[in-house]
Amino acid sequence: MKAIKAIYNFIVGDMIILIGITITVVVLALINFVNALAPLSGASAYILIIAVLVVLTATLMREARGKR
Amino acid sequence: MQWAVAIASFLASAVEFVEAFTIVLVVGVTINWRSSLVGALAAAATLAVIVGTLGVALVQYVPIGILRLVVGIILILFGLKWLKKAILRYSGLKALHDEEAIFEETMAELRARGETITPRLEPFGVALSYKAVLLEGLEVAFIVITFGSSISKTATVSGIGSAAIGAAIAGLLVILVGALVRAPLKQVPENTLKFIVGIMLTSFGTFWAGEGFLINWPLADAFILILVVLYLTTSFILVAALKQTKARQLAMSSADSASFIEHEQEEVRP
Repeated sequence: MKAIKAIYNFIVGDMIILIGITITVVVLALINFVNALAPLSGASAYILIIAVLVVLTATLMREARGKR
Repeated sequence: MQWAVAIASFLASAVEFVEAFTIVLVVGVTINWRSSLVGALAAAATLAVIVGTLGVALVQYVPIGILRLVVGIILILFGLKWLKKAILRYSGLKALHDEEAIFEETMAELRARGETITPRLEPFGVALSYKAVLLEGLEVAFIVITFGSSISKTATVSGIGSAAIGAAIAGLLVILVGALVRAPLKQVPENTLKFIVGIMLTSFGTFWAGEGFLINWPLADAFILILVVLYLTTSFILVAALKQTKARQLAMSSADSASFIEHEQEEVRP
């Protein structure tokens, strides 16, 4: 458990960033590998960039609310 | 000597070397040079082993797409972590009890007293430098082998030799220019550098992860610059927004404490 926590803290140390990026990766993987979602592949770049910006904003807003 | 191959390899490799060297440079300036160079040298050794054992077969056996995806995702995570800290510091919202800040204060105190600080190996810095050099180095190896092999089967050795010469010149040139900008970079405040590192890691991470997902970025590698501008702009907007939030919080808390004191005084009065 300690080792997992150490790796988590080393790589990211923030649950919102970790979950947000994981969800983005799963969504992009689905778009890439599921044929029914193939028409969305043109939007993959936008999805990735917007997801990164949303994750950054979300984690900062949580910090700001936490400081109240 | 195949000049066309050498020039094409030089230009393509220069882009990859600049990407790798940028990360090695910022790790060296922000964390320490020992960690940065150990990471870069370890990656160079790994590359030498991979290229030495696999050689031309490297192009067929190493799935560069998967490597790009994994490294890209890890860089996005690292980058967002750094960017978040830097933005919080700029906006004044950084937590008071911060071990990293305490460590930095101690370092500053030691420097002020004129004591020498032993630059210890930082795993974070070593890993960052290692990954950047390994990934970009593999890409250079790919460029050299694919460009070199594309000439003709009879001229393959000469082709790979020419491509390798082009790549080597590009590498030396990037290291030389990097060594020249190393000193001016030291004058930049640490939080600013960390902010820049966060922006760069997130930009490179987004680009590589996107390539791993077979995204065809417009303008190819030049799109990294567009990502940098985009993340910089968003970060400045976020810093401004958080500063306003902090000012509002301060105003509210001072109003609360003023009304509390007034209330207390009214209760004390006979």
